[in-house]
Amino acid sequence: MAFSVGIVLLGIGLVAIAIRRDLVIKLLALGLTNAGSILCLVAIGDRPDAHVPICAVCHDVLYADPLPQALVLSAIVINFAILALALVFVMRLVEQYHTTDSRHVEDLVQRDLDEGGQQ
Amino acid sequence: MILAVLPLSRFVLGVLCYAGKRVSRTVAAVGWCATAALSIYLLIATRDGATITIGLGGWAAELGIVVRFDAVAAAFSPLVVLLELAVLLYARKEDRAPLFYALLQFLLGAVFALLLAQDLFNEYVILELLTLVSFLLVGYERRPAQIWASLKYLVLASIGMSLFLVGVALIYRHTGTLNLSQIGGIIQGRPEADWIPLATVLLVVGVSVKAGVLGLSQWLPAAHSAAPTEISALLSGLVIKMGVVVLLRVSQVFPLGLTLQALGAVTAVVGVLYAAYAKSLKRMLAFSTLSQIGYLVLGLAIGTPEALAGVLDYAIAHGLFKGLLFLAAGEAARAAGGGRFEELAAHRELIPRATTTALFVGTLAIVGLPPLAGFGAKSALFACHPSPFVFAVFIVTTVGTAFAFAKLLPLFRWRRGARRSDRTSAYAVLAVPILFFIPFTVTTFPSLHLATGLEPLLVIESLGAVAAGLLLHRWLGHRAVRLPKRLFFLEEAVLGILLAWLLAAILLRAV
Repeated sequence: MAFSVGIVLLGIGLVAIAIRRDLVIKLLALGLTNAGSILCLVAIGDRPDAHVPICAVCHDVLYADPLPQALVLSAIVINFAILALALVFVMRLVEQYHTTDSRHVEDLVQRDLDEGGQQ
Repeated sequence: MILAVLPLSRFVLGVLCYAGKRVSRTVAAVGWCATAALSIYLLIATRDGATITIGLGGWAAELGIVVRFDAVAAAFSPLVVLLELAVLLYARKEDRAPLFYALLQFLLGAVFALLLAQDLFNEYVILELLTLVSFLLVGYERRPAQIWASLKYLVLASIGMSLFLVGVALIYRHTGTLNLSQIGGIIQGRPEADWIPLATVLLVVGVSVKAGVLGLSQWLPAAHSAAPTEISALLSGLVIKMGVVVLLRVSQVFPLGLTLQALGAVTAVVGVLYAAYAKSLKRMLAFSTLSQIGYLVLGLAIGTPEALAGVLDYAIAHGLFKGLLFLAAGEAARAAGGGRFEELAAHRELIPRATTTALFVGTLAIVGLPPLAGFGAKSALFACHPSPFVFAVFIVTTVGTAFAFAKLLPLFRWRRGARRSDRTSAYAVLAVPILFFIPFTVTTFPSLHLATGLEPLLVIESLGAVAAGLLLHRWLGHRAVRLPKRLFFLEEAVLGILLAWLLAAILLRAV
């Protein structure tokens, strides 16, 4: 169940990135996409009627799989870093072009390339 | 022990780079020497086809993390050493800040970590690390075009890796392990389990975004052409191949033949089409990288051990000549005052002779003229009996590459009194192995080398393809064609991934 919800969240994020032109909204959608994948990862560690995987004697206790929970930490940190860096770069673009519209930015970059002659 | 040192030392060195400008250069030199020494040691230790495997922290394979120095790592380590040396020699004249050297160390550390990684989650983390570092390096000079290119790269790569992570999660649920060889064993036990197609789609899509497969990774041309020169060389020569390495490892576990064939064919043909009508040299090189990735993916689709050896051979050869071409293109564009073909041709007397020579060697190698690097590797792929379809794509790509690079012909007229280049050593580091590639592969990896030699049929084939490309250039070369640029916008680039997500959602219903 939670796994399917994760896949759906991922899809919503993807659609938003594809149809919304505002870069900040695109980044929010990217966050949603990443959250979806993280939810999928958490979901697979779950077992019905399981305890938290912290126990002194674990022989006769059914506990949730701790490995996905450990993996999720790395994934969260990475996604945090990506979003933070992406926001900084969007900021630089806004300073330069005073717009967050991706089509607009694309045109302006193309114009600069055609005029500038660099590369 | 030594295997863990190889990548980890780079991260320590990278932090040391911040101490100052002169320190950062010394550190970079030390890092290169250490890697070269370790690589030579490892190559000698594995020269008879052996592999070195260790479980980190002394844990067994089913609990801990396994790193392994295998044929893939053995093939790539000389490329890393050579490319890094060339890039360092080139960057010495560029006055780069400590941050640049620090990021370079992180990038190469991540490359080595990926070559050694044998489990899916490590590959996920390292691919993300590569994304982050190359994102910063592409935008290093802070020009708007670079920032936009790297932002597109980051967004697409992050989406791709999210899908990859879901695939990893699914595989872990059904196999209880992340180690690729154990997963392979479990899948062979029950090849028709219903979760396998879904996991395959997610993994392949995720990696393809990083590996430069068209339809999923349209960030590539902008990022590789906008990046600073040395970074373009590293990204196109080395980093993009890391996606191919993961794809190779995944394709050894999951049956992917037909999917890869389709993806590879599209990438190769469309890439070379865009390369043929690109207006500036660096952009043309970036598109050509795309088509060459298609070539590699087609090789993976054939899937026989010979084909995989051919893929590795070609990945190394492509790393060498594309690195050389990008380095020379950067200097040529600066000397001529612009990188568009008409500017280069108009100011060709300003381009140093060494730079022109480097471009010439790179061009001969990429079109596959014997006996240079491209020929040896291409014939290795041709020799493994591809299906007629794949063979046709190979031929079309080779002819198209010759057609695209024929635009450089005006630069190659011999003339006196050209300026001297101060970067000759950087070019020499890459040009020498390209010229002696066939003997080079024979001596360094006998296990990889195929008895291609200089078979007359293959020589005629490659000469014919180049001749066809040149004829096409005379016939069509002056016609201006505008190919749709929209394909490479961010919104359109996401559509391919969205389609893959739909496919995954449909497959999820079936599970």
